[in-house]
Amino acid sequence: MTTVTTQIKLTPEHGARPDVSMRSRLQDALPKIVLAPSFAITIVFVYGFILWTVYLSFTNSKTFPSYTLTGPRAYQRLWRWTFESDPPSSWYTSITNMGIFGFLYIFICLALGLFLAILLDQKIRGEGVLRPIYLYPMALSFIVTGVAWKWFLDPGLGLEQTLHQWGWTSFHFDWIKNKDFVIYTVVIAGVWQASGFIMAMFLAGLRGIDGEIMKAAQIDGATTFQLYRRIVIPLLRPVFLSAFIVLAHLAIKSYDLVVALTSGGPGGSAWLPSNFMYEYTFKRNEMAVGSASAVIMLMTITAIIVPYLYSELRERPR
Amino acid sequence: MAFLEIDGLRKRFGSVEILKGIDVDLEKGGFLVLVGPSGCGKSTLLNTIAGLETITEGEIRVDGRTINDLHPSKRDIAMVFQSYALYPNMTVAGNIAFGMEMRGVPAQERQKAIDKVAKVLQIGHLLQRKPSQLSGGQRQRVAMGRALVRDPKLFLFDEPLSNLDAKLRVDMRIEIKRLHATTGTTIVYVTHDQIEAMTLATKIAVMRDGEVQQFGTPAEIYNNPTNLFVADFMGSPAMNLIPATIGGNGNALSVVLQREAREPISLPLADAPTGLSAFHDRPIIFGVRPEALTDPEGAERNASNIATADCHIEVVEPAGSDTFAVTNLGGKAVVARLRADANIQPGTSTPLAFNLTKAVFFDPATENRIL
Amino acid sequence: MSVIATPARQSTGGISARTVNRIVIYGLLALFALFYLMPLFVMLVTSFKTMDEIQNGNMLALPQAPTFEPWLKAWGEACVGLTCAGIKGYFWNSIKMVVPAVLISTLLGALNGYVLTKWRFRGHTLVFGLMLFACFIPFQSVLLPMATILGSLGRFGVTLRNATGLSFGLGNPTVNLVFVHVVYGLGFTTLFFRNYYEAFPTELVKAAQVDGASFFQIFRRIMLPNSMPIFVVTVIYQFTNIWNDFLFASAYAGTGDAMPMTVALNNVVNTSTGVVEYNVNMAAAMIAALPTLLVYVVAGRYFVRGLMAGAVKG
Repeated sequence: MTTVTTQIKLTPEHGARPDVSMRSRLQDALPKIVLAPSFAITIVFVYGFILWTVYLSFTNSKTFPSYTLTGPRAYQRLWRWTFESDPPSSWYTSITNMGIFGFLYIFICLALGLFLAILLDQKIRGEGVLRPIYLYPMALSFIVTGVAWKWFLDPGLGLEQTLHQWGWTSFHFDWIKNKDFVIYTVVIAGVWQASGFIMAMFLAGLRGIDGEIMKAAQIDGATTFQLYRRIVIPLLRPVFLSAFIVLAHLAIKSYDLVVALTSGGPGGSAWLPSNFMYEYTFKRNEMAVGSASAVIMLMTITAIIVPYLYSELRERPR
Repeated sequence: MAFLEIDGLRKRFGSVEILKGIDVDLEKGGFLVLVGPSGCGKSTLLNTIAGLETITEGEIRVDGRTINDLHPSKRDIAMVFQSYALYPNMTVAGNIAFGMEMRGVPAQERQKAIDKVAKVLQIGHLLQRKPSQLSGGQRQRVAMGRALVRDPKLFLFDEPLSNLDAKLRVDMRIEIKRLHATTGTTIVYVTHDQIEAMTLATKIAVMRDGEVQQFGTPAEIYNNPTNLFVADFMGSPAMNLIPATIGGNGNALSVVLQREAREPISLPLADAPTGLSAFHDRPIIFGVRPEALTDPEGAERNASNIATADCHIEVVEPAGSDTFAVTNLGGKAVVARLRADANIQPGTSTPLAFNLTKAVFFDPATENRIL
Repeated sequence: MSVIATPARQSTGGISARTVNRIVIYGLLALFALFYLMPLFVMLVTSFKTMDEIQNGNMLALPQAPTFEPWLKAWGEACVGLTCAGIKGYFWNSIKMVVPAVLISTLLGALNGYVLTKWRFRGHTLVFGLMLFACFIPFQSVLLPMATILGSLGRFGVTLRNATGLSFGLGNPTVNLVFVHVVYGLGFTTLFFRNYYEAFPTELVKAAQVDGASFFQIFRRIMLPNSMPIFVVTVIYQFTNIWNDFLFASAYAGTGDAMPMTVALNNVVNTSTGVVEYNVNMAAAMIAALPTLLVYVVAGRYFVRGLMAGAVKG
């Protein structure tokens, strides 16, 4: 920090004294000095570590890291497992689950979020009560979400049991224990957690639309349905994009939910690639394979995020 | 030696040159207005004087001392910003005293200085308020107070009135002029409003695209614009710039103005600028301000060279103090300024008096004034 | 946007189309409210029931003899792995981890945002872009190297303690987690503050410079006092994220006394010894959820804004 000069009138001689210029040069560099640690941390602990992980994926690391390169063997194994569907390999299960979960989770969240936002935007009395009810699950951790839904979906204790007691004895709902359906319970819990937030995003988008456009469309004779389909939803395009990005990256990161809700499901049938990575790296002592799967996850998310970030940052030149 | 001297100032952002060699100086106690359309570099120039932006080339001297590399706080300047830039978290008193606080001026002295400034600007009752509780005019006063309290060598104003409504702007303009007259400080003032420039300045620099187009007193700029840009930019309503040709012969040149479906007007020139003879039979731009184009009764009595011609009036705009009449000459709408009670009807022909002593001529190719 | 509802069509009968419309809308909204509330409701009522009531009663029924027993048991006696001292210790672990991590990452984010908007330099967008991308990486891709580094730091800590008697926190799982959360939270906090300061009038900074304030004086006297809203948003966002984290917690403090709340809860729920005490599990889950729920209830407006800021830039 500079010393505060008490002088008000300055010495009139020409040129700066050397110590002054030294100090002013320090002043000039200060912003960069302040930013440097954070930037260095990011470079080392994010990008450096990513490279490290990439390196590990080309070794034959098992329980402990090994630094002898052995070529893309881990990737070859993953590639082979990708097509091993009968009986399914863990990797096959993980990526198919990712496909099912990713698609349903993103699609249902977007649809439900938009639907609820439009309903809430109809001058609803009690909006102030409903909105926080839809949104609160986002405050809970995946672990708590998982615990709650695990109980709710348990055939012996939860919904099935309750309906049996109410007299609907033929009702049968055991997806959480069924290896073919367990992934759909993850979708249910995931949608429950995130859809309220997506609703809030859409609602903010709706409230940001110029009211005069709506009035103009009504004068042009548009019905409410046409109004939304032709005017409002197209105007919400940026919100769709942001919501998609948020959901996609939440989906790929989802790990805790599977653990807490299903403990991996019967025979690992609920695994996502993130669970695969964790299990192979820390439990099955296949560090190279785990690293390779992490690299694949990273590349997937990069393909989605980088174009988005690029356009976001480029749109606002200084 | 002038008090503020700017020599060959250049500023580049990458390959874009924002300031292309500025040379301006100002005597002590002077009021320099930098005026020009947006993007002309006037604010950048002010920021380089303040030290808020670095310069690529050239020199800025205040009172004989080069200040190129000094930190803004060491240049002994004060600045009033367009948005006033009042610190929203501090009271008015806190805002005014912040600079002194940063310099380590003891609290007692600070208080004395605040009181003095508050008295000059009549903001004593506002001292404990936050900026958000002030009106636009009050904020403007506080911003000036923050500058005044520093008692600097140089005041810098960056479009200080552009956020005020029309009436308040006039009031504050007078206030600034009075402040300048009573305190005798040296001021550099940026505006895009040429009326502010005309009313406040002792010197005006008209800028365009990073260059000073003309530098001089308000009267020089108004009466003797050096090129088409300055002629067009300064003055409201703007100078009529009419495509014309030079006719006549030898010593008796005349301006010939084309008209739609009627014979051209020929205005004899009594004392034409010497350079004009070279333009015989060639196109020129004929510049005449609306107040030099009047009804014959309203024409200036002692002007030596007045020519009258019948003009077809298209539109009449009574503005209260004057009546403006629009006619068409040389393919352009031309505004004449008549007395308020001039009896004139649109669609009729009326004689108009051209005061040719005040007329100026431009070369259409170079856009420069023909002297 | 204000939606103008469809003008009521001429109604011949008693109920207009508009009324039917409204009933359908409110019905749907209520139905979804049920969907969102149900799991919380079940968790809450279960946590106040006796085991008897759970096994023989209806999941949705209110507790007939409400008891605090499960909450007390979860707090003080429940078994996490082999130790049966409740989750209270882990609750404090989480607090000890969250508070410093939130404060440090928020402060650094504020400084970064200040530099990236008010003291720009060539390449500032690239720097910001690189930091921003770090928000989106799947943490699996850094999990292993970080474990390795933390492991060697821990060994270095032991050496240090043997030599000097002090380990300076090296090898302490809580310190490790604070570090990890600061590192991987920086992108978010920088994003929040950058976007906020982007809209912060630069003229204020210029005025302060003319007034003679230094880099840090401007930050402390001008920027920080006017940053309250974004501070609240960032703190809430970071608090929620770090409190709820499971991946880092289980990877770097998955066993032993230092495990944070989320890991402990998962262990409580998955402890397979003896009878599963669902009411205790639910009480434990409620305790784990309480801090973030409380933040949500108290400062919901800021909570939502924080989530949005993380999603929509500008």
